[in-house]
Amino acid sequence: MYRFLISSLLLFSLWVPVNAIAGSLSERVQEHRLENGLTVLLVERHTSPTVAAYISFRVGSVDESSQQRGIAHMLEHMLFKGTKTLGTRDYEAEKPLLKKIEEIGEKITRLNIHPDGDRQQINRLQETLYELQQQHREFVVKDEFARIYAEQGGVGFNAFTSKDQTTYLINLPANKLELWAAIESDRLQHAVFREFFTERDVVQEERRRAVDINPGGKLYENLLVTAYQVHPYRHPILGWDSDIQGFSLPLIRDFFHRYYNAANMIITLVGAFDSADTLALIESYFGGLPTVAEIPPVSDREPQQQGERRIHINYDAEPRMMVAYHKPTLPHSDDYAFDLLARALAHGRTSRLYQSLVVNQQVVSDIGVFRAPGSRYDNLFIISLLPRRDVSLAAVEKALDEEIQRLITEPLTAADIEKARHQIMTSMLRGMRTNSGLARMLSSYQILGDWKYLIEYEDRLKSVDSQALIAVAERYLQRSNRTIATLSRGDVQ
Amino acid sequence: MRKISVFALAAVFVFVHSAIALSSQRPDQLTFPPLVLTFPDISEHQTANGMNLYVRPDDELPLVDLTVMIRGGSIYDPPEKTGLAQLFSQALETGGSLSYSPEQLEQELDLMAAELAVSSSSYAYQIDLSIHQRDLDRAVEILADLLRRPRFDDRRVELARQRLIESVHRQNDRPASIAGRYLAQAVNPGHPLGLEPDIETLESLTHDDLVMVHERFFHPQRLWWGVSGAVDEEQFLTLLSHYFGDWDSQAKVDYEFPALPESVIATTYVVDRKLSQTTLMMGHRGISKDNPDLHAVRLANYILGGGGFNSRLMREIRSNRGLAYSIYSQFQPGRYLPELFNIVGETRNDGALEVVRLVRHLIDEMIATPVSAEELESAKRSLINSFIFAFENTHSVVTQKMRLLFYSYPADYLETYQERIEALTAEDVQRVARRYLQPDNLHVVLVGDSDILLDDLENKSADVVIIELD
Repeated sequence: MYRFLISSLLLFSLWVPVNAIAGSLSERVQEHRLENGLTVLLVERHTSPTVAAYISFRVGSVDESSQQRGIAHMLEHMLFKGTKTLGTRDYEAEKPLLKKIEEIGEKITRLNIHPDGDRQQINRLQETLYELQQQHREFVVKDEFARIYAEQGGVGFNAFTSKDQTTYLINLPANKLELWAAIESDRLQHAVFREFFTERDVVQEERRRAVDINPGGKLYENLLVTAYQVHPYRHPILGWDSDIQGFSLPLIRDFFHRYYNAANMIITLVGAFDSADTLALIESYFGGLPTVAEIPPVSDREPQQQGERRIHINYDAEPRMMVAYHKPTLPHSDDYAFDLLARALAHGRTSRLYQSLVVNQQVVSDIGVFRAPGSRYDNLFIISLLPRRDVSLAAVEKALDEEIQRLITEPLTAADIEKARHQIMTSMLRGMRTNSGLARMLSSYQILGDWKYLIEYEDRLKSVDSQALIAVAERYLQRSNRTIATLSRGDVQ
Repeated sequence: MRKISVFALAAVFVFVHSAIALSSQRPDQLTFPPLVLTFPDISEHQTANGMNLYVRPDDELPLVDLTVMIRGGSIYDPPEKTGLAQLFSQALETGGSLSYSPEQLEQELDLMAAELAVSSSSYAYQIDLSIHQRDLDRAVEILADLLRRPRFDDRRVELARQRLIESVHRQNDRPASIAGRYLAQAVNPGHPLGLEPDIETLESLTHDDLVMVHERFFHPQRLWWGVSGAVDEEQFLTLLSHYFGDWDSQAKVDYEFPALPESVIATTYVVDRKLSQTTLMMGHRGISKDNPDLHAVRLANYILGGGGFNSRLMREIRSNRGLAYSIYSQFQPGRYLPELFNIVGETRNDGALEVVRLVRHLIDEMIATPVSAEELESAKRSLINSFIFAFENTHSVVTQKMRLLFYSYPADYLETYQERIEALTAEDVQRVARRYLQPDNLHVVLVGDSDILLDDLENKSADVVIIELD
């Protein structure tokens, strides 16, 4: 998660005025709301003649029901497949073929759900589908968004889906902003979901790559489904294998129309442009996007955890371990305490866990502390550990327990907290060095409710003292509130 | 002291937007105001003792970024001491200096919220330091002690060694790292470019080895500084002269690189991992940056597999067939010696041989048939129009300039880049494809379920080596 610096830094008797963006974010960021509810954040910055353009929707895998797992991400893929004018040689002529492909494909999907489905019938349908797809290729202009953007000098044309949001991004030469407005508004209004059944296979490969062949991904996925029993933060962003095989176009269309509307959308531009002209450009291209009824927040509530949970994965890789504690999300004040705790525990060579577990006891070779899997809803404080070769998972757990206990018996001092705060604020400054870093920070906070959280952020950190950290440790860092996931060859050591 | 203005970029354009043309016009038919490209100014200095300095002030944020490059690197690691450059980097970063114990040093840097990283590559050691502007003086003082008088504290060196050994133990956790290792070994057997550290080589490294690396390479004449951010040029020069001015310059020695060996005969390696997906890597020796066909090779590779969704590999293997999420090719132009040409992707086990066949087919096609005018033009426009992003971030502008000079690129490399791309033809692309794509020399490494892979490989004539991992 990104956080951000606003006011000046005062530390160690030296004081240097902080200039430009850091000191005046509230003046640099222009926030507008169009009549249809679309939020626009603009930061003019003329360092180089380029612009980072982000379009974010407040929808991610957390918004999926169990019948929709993976849909937000699959939809993101489908929005790269063109429109009624782009990606096609002739949409009207292509349309009947798309319809036929969908009918056959959906039929195969349904048949595949039944374990004793008629294999022969499925194979026949597969052959028909293949032939139709071959015919359809004649109409397709491959990846035309990507081609046009690339020819005009765009870089980093991409998108990502997280638990909390779906974001479409690109960096463009500054004179090409209208190209971006034209392409993006076209794909939001006239998207055509072509090549769906092939793209489903692509996503299947994406999942294998991110989870099946990646021990870290495997461990994390299992941690989340164990820590969350009810809340949809447990859903894998890509969906499970069977979800992917079962994706269907009607589901994706419904999801698209429900969540991709102006009131749920944020445009963030950082770079070399004139703000007034740019706002007018956005008005004219995106002002006509529809607004539908307000989207209710996720209503599932995770029951309080009552007792430690453990999960072990038998996997052909060296041992690793993650420990997760439930915690509230922002704007709860404890969330800020956890930010400081994460820093003080595991960022930098003098951090507590690094000093104790990596340098002094040498029980792990690396350690990480972060919060996940999202921030729109209550989340987890996660500690990730790679045991040294000759050290058992049990020994690592014991050493970690002692350090967690020490947070109460030997609390972090005011100086420790000040150091952590200084590091957090400085690393935010570093995140602002690029246009896209700044754009991502702003849009991510806007997704959580309001980019202006960033303005208050340092003051909120300053309100956390040593006592508050002890209270947080006592309240949340309890065995009964934690989940431990381990991975190694064979059964748990 | 001289000030050069080779390199800057300031673009002047007026943003005009035409709200009229909505939807009646395809986005690619829009017209755009011109973007005038000039190159950003970077000051260049050489200190009396021979250090090179490149500076670009930018006071938008109260940060200073420093990158120091030093001639040296893993190319000079004796094969039996593979891993020396890596251990040296870690030992320098964490081992303290004459005046500061490791604990004092990390305490002070952490209090400053500084970020210090030492890394090594084939031909250089690199120190990156990011600090708040108010800490600049003290940071340069510390850096001077570290670069000139490193301590290599025994306990910290041992910890660094153990952590490197740990990463050797974990090197088979990632299929891509397995595949990369076997491909590098096959292309450059026994050479530093083809070797990776193992437990034996790491355990053999001594304190004296570290001292020797320092004595050999760390001299002012081998040091290059790239500095950007909230920094005053004159003030920085004064700092350098204060903390480095009495560092004696030594006679310049250029050490030779070990010559490249013959690659082994093209082979297919199958590494058994019982996973649901095969990681595949194919490759052979590529080119160095001194190759006169550098730009043409770059363009040809964009079309084959370097251009993301606009490349043939992505179009055929991912977009048309759904066989992969990621598939690409790259020529890594070696700074001096030629490095690898390789293709990297992942696919379901029973699709792996199909992907290998498609890759071969697409390479053959690049060799046999000229690219279409349309495809050529699209690739050229992309390389030319995205060039502006080479100058997006102030520190990367400075380090790019420094790096090009450090590695002796032609002085006009950046200025002529766009026109050189513009001049290329379909014949050029085919000519370099014929010369630098060598299907007969392609090594193939498949890391996946060997029961399926070997089944599919049966009756194929290629030499197949089956590798059992420990």
